[in-house]
Amino acid sequence: MLAALSKLSKVKILRWLANQYIDIIRGTPLLVQLFIIYYGLPQIGIIINPFASAILGLSINTGAYVAEAIRSGILAVDQGQREAAAALGFSSAQTMRLIILPQALKTMIPPVGNQFLLLIKDSSLVSTITLVELTRTAQRIISTTYKPIELYIAAAVIYYIISLLATKLLNILEKKARVSE
Amino acid sequence: MSGNEIIKIKDLRKSFGETEVLKGINLSVSKGEVVVIIGGSGSGKSTLLRCINRLEPFTSGSIFYNQQDILQTEMVRNEIGMVFQQFNLFKHKTVLENITLAPIHVLKRIKEETVKEAMELLKKVGIEEKADVYPSKLSGGQSQRVAIARALAMKPQVMLFDEPTSALDPVLVGEVLWVIKKLAEEGMTMVVVTHEMGFAREVADRVVFFDNGIIVEEGKPQEIFNAPKSERLKQFLRRIS
Ligand SMILES: Nc1ncnc2c1ncn2[C@@H]1O[C@H](COP(=O)(O)OP(=O)(O)OP(=O)(O)O)[C@@H](O)[C@H]1O
Ligand SMILES: [Mg+2]
Repeated sequence: MLAALSKLSKVKILRWLANQYIDIIRGTPLLVQLFIIYYGLPQIGIIINPFASAILGLSINTGAYVAEAIRSGILAVDQGQREAAAALGFSSAQTMRLIILPQALKTMIPPVGNQFLLLIKDSSLVSTITLVELTRTAQRIISTTYKPIELYIAAAVIYYIISLLATKLLNILEKKARVSE
Repeated sequence: MSGNEIIKIKDLRKSFGETEVLKGINLSVSKGEVVVIIGGSGSGKSTLLRCINRLEPFTSGSIFYNQQDILQTEMVRNEIGMVFQQFNLFKHKTVLENITLAPIHVLKRIKEETVKEAMELLKKVGIEEKADVYPSKLSGGQSQRVAIARALAMKPQVMLFDEPTSALDPVLVGEVLWVIKKLAEEGMTMVVVTHEMGFAREVADRVVFFDNGIIVEEGKPQEIFNAPKSERLKQFLRRIS
């Protein structure tokens, strides 16, 4: 959110920082980002446990994609809305809060939602930094039960159910946002 | 005259990059006066209105509102209302909320009062039954009347209209012009850009003809329409009739 507003801001340095952040995150694989956080941070003296680095990595990553979605949502709001707001005397902060963002939200819900669905699936990657999540749990059980197919399918089903629930939730949100149409 | 002068524009110039769109405009509007601006497409009419309302920065010259330089005062936008060709209603708000939003947040007024006034304004523009619908459910004529009510809710001293009927189905033009006429009769000061010559003739105290960034001719409607002096105005009137 902050990144999205920064990228649209008139302050050059903010815009530049936001651009760098978004480009770097989108231009590199999540796996590499996770490794850098988990193995890299301790080398510069920051001790971080696997869970925290997983959360940090996934948030930084998702944040960049969501920022892009928010930005395009804001840009999609027709210029006339800003003009009308300015003509009525709204400050630019009020215009953003009362008029632009609520409308941007509507176009943002699908892409942001997709990003969270991806996040659910991407969370399987954190097993690589020793964190025990769903996929990793499946692997563990497999190593004692020797039933790889069944367990991976079970894991897939669980991902699927979580995603399905998330999708349902998104659809409800989208319907709500569409009352004004 | 000066005590009565609510807007005074002095040698206003405006360029977009290399192209000069306003080339030295001088124009005054008195309290209660209805000034209608006519002129061809691209002649700078919208740009002028947008400068008056500070939606557009200008290159040189000055604009005074009640003797005050508009660049020095914040009151301009609160006291000058504007109605756009494309209505620009807030799409995520109901008709009523569209009208009360600015009084509540800009003027910091109590919600109940603004709702009461909004209902009166809706009655005035003839669509009180639409208070709770969203703009997407309105016809163009209804939308524009809501936009007028929204601007009036700020209790402006001056209203600017930028081609308020150009985006409308011909059969809906009348209902919007009817509202503007009513405002004129009540003594509202207005600057109206329009292509509706019949309306200009009927309502204007003064007609201003714009061409290519300058005011070529101005005068009473009869003078402008019945006895145009400049060749360019004669051409323009021939073209549109
Ligand atoms: N933001 C902008 N950037 C560059 N050029 C612009 C911009 N806005 C307007 N212009 C140019 O300025 C000129 C005057 O435009 P303006 O909209 O004021 O004309 P107008 O008289 O209102 O015309 P119309 O009757 O078509 O509405 C046009 O040539 C237009 O292309
Ligand atoms: Mg125009």
